[in-house]
Amino acid sequence: MDGPTNAPRKKPVPRPSPESEHYWQAAREHRLELPRCNACGQLWFPPSQSCPHCLAADFNWTPVSGLGKVFSFVTYHRVYHPAFASDVPYVVALVELKEGPRLLTNIVGVPPDKVACEMRVQVVFDDYGEDVAVPKFTPVEAASTS
Amino acid sequence: MIEPSRELRDVCAIVGTGHSRLGRVPGVSSLDLLVEAMHNAIADAGVKLTDIDGIICRGPDESYAHHQQIGARLGINARFSTTLDNGGASQILGVALATMAIKAGMASTVIVGFGRDSWSRTHSSKEANVRNETRPDSLLAHEFGPEYGYFGAVAAHAFGAMRHMHLYGTTRSHFGAVAVAFREHALRNPDAQMRKPLTMGQYHEAPPVVAPFGLLDCSLRSDAAGAVIVTSRERARDLHQPPVSIKGFGSFNNLRGWFADDYMVTTAAKNSGEAAYRMAGIGPDDVGTAQIYDCFTYMVLTQLEDYGFCKKGEGGPFVASGALRMGGRLPTNTSGGQLSEAHAEGMLQVVEGARQMRHTYPAERQVAGAEIALVSGHGGNQVCHSTLILGRA
Repeated sequence: MDGPTNAPRKKPVPRPSPESEHYWQAAREHRLELPRCNACGQLWFPPSQSCPHCLAADFNWTPVSGLGKVFSFVTYHRVYHPAFASDVPYVVALVELKEGPRLLTNIVGVPPDKVACEMRVQVVFDDYGEDVAVPKFTPVEAASTS
Repeated sequence: MIEPSRELRDVCAIVGTGHSRLGRVPGVSSLDLLVEAMHNAIADAGVKLTDIDGIICRGPDESYAHHQQIGARLGINARFSTTLDNGGASQILGVALATMAIKAGMASTVIVGFGRDSWSRTHSSKEANVRNETRPDSLLAHEFGPEYGYFGAVAAHAFGAMRHMHLYGTTRSHFGAVAVAFREHALRNPDAQMRKPLTMGQYHEAPPVVAPFGLLDCSLRSDAAGAVIVTSRERARDLHQPPVSIKGFGSFNNLRGWFADDYMVTTAAKNSGEAAYRMAGIGPDDVGTAQIYDCFTYMVLTQLEDYGFCKKGEGGPFVASGALRMGGRLPTNTSGGQLSEAHAEGMLQVVEGARQMRHTYPAERQVAGAEIALVSGHGGNQVCHSTLILGRA
């Protein structure tokens, strides 16, 4: 048991469920894919085995554009986990994808005080290691000039 | 829309209120704090322990079979006994369930309470502090949060605050007006955890936590418990205190999630409040004092809008006008709230609402002329809400 300790800790990595295994596998290959219902055509997130819009269990993993806008965001100044001590201040945002679903994520490549609601963003992948990549978002303008 | 039953209006009363020692109470468990509050409520009401045949409570999140442990410590059996699971919305739901149980003949006198030892668990020693600051990764969510450095209730509510600021031009000074007003109320409450005055300047100087929230937007870590006793209006006549009538209640749960639709700016308080108003047969203009679940400053502002005390988006100017202060249009969280009195997950708001409706406070703490008190409860991952409407009997 990892009790109270001052030992350095790594950032938590996703521990996929059977439902989210494909999502993280696609992310590892730098693709953003969401379940799309074959009965009603809607996308959803987080992944689950049946469509929350019509309860059909027939779906396919579908690539999405990776484009969206910031619905809302917060800026962490306080360190809640030692692995993020050198990251503060950092932005956690809720991004609404062009296709509809909202993802919790980080906004990177822009100072926290330049992030705003409705800002247009696009996905980038942050490799946490060989086996894990995490989708994050960056302003569309920043991505096109880099 | 389903019409709430009017047969429950003015059928039951809160006849006893109690709170434990509040703030920093080292060496006392959450169970013993709750038993302390319950003993105080029983003495306040003038009922015998053996008159109580119902227990409704909610333990800290990690506890199991909490009502059984409370019954054992009180030394009583009960006809009706259960533990609720709606976070900070549970406490009002407990009063509602007590009323339903009494009306159904399942119990006659029900004690409802909540207690926790959050200060002791997090601040009482260096070890406690380290333990609190370094949660083992095995206890974190598995995905879609921790990998992004997303932890805790502060950030979840800050998302709503930021969205509200974007949509309606709400400012940090509006949030500060809530914190300052409640601190003024705490200064009149000798049992409150926070006993020093707070200025708007100090509010703005406090360190940021998760922006837009700073330290003084956040409620307290408290050792605290509260309890109330509910019985029929008929039985209430023979007891010590002026009975406080339970006029209505409601609940609503945005189970699709805080991040869905616009729930972070138009909360479940809206539907919960409408149901409670309909049961009570009143509207927001009839409410003389509000006791609002103030886990964070912003949550007060947005719930006041959802309850119809002002229009959606106008909560900032409403709180900045001084409306929440004693003598204002709607004196709110008159014991100091969770921001300045103590945090017992909404239970102390129920206690204070009932006390205001007795009209036995000294003048400096009494909301003069208030005939109706509205109490709110909010919790469970920000999606559960409950509303209680109390009146002078």
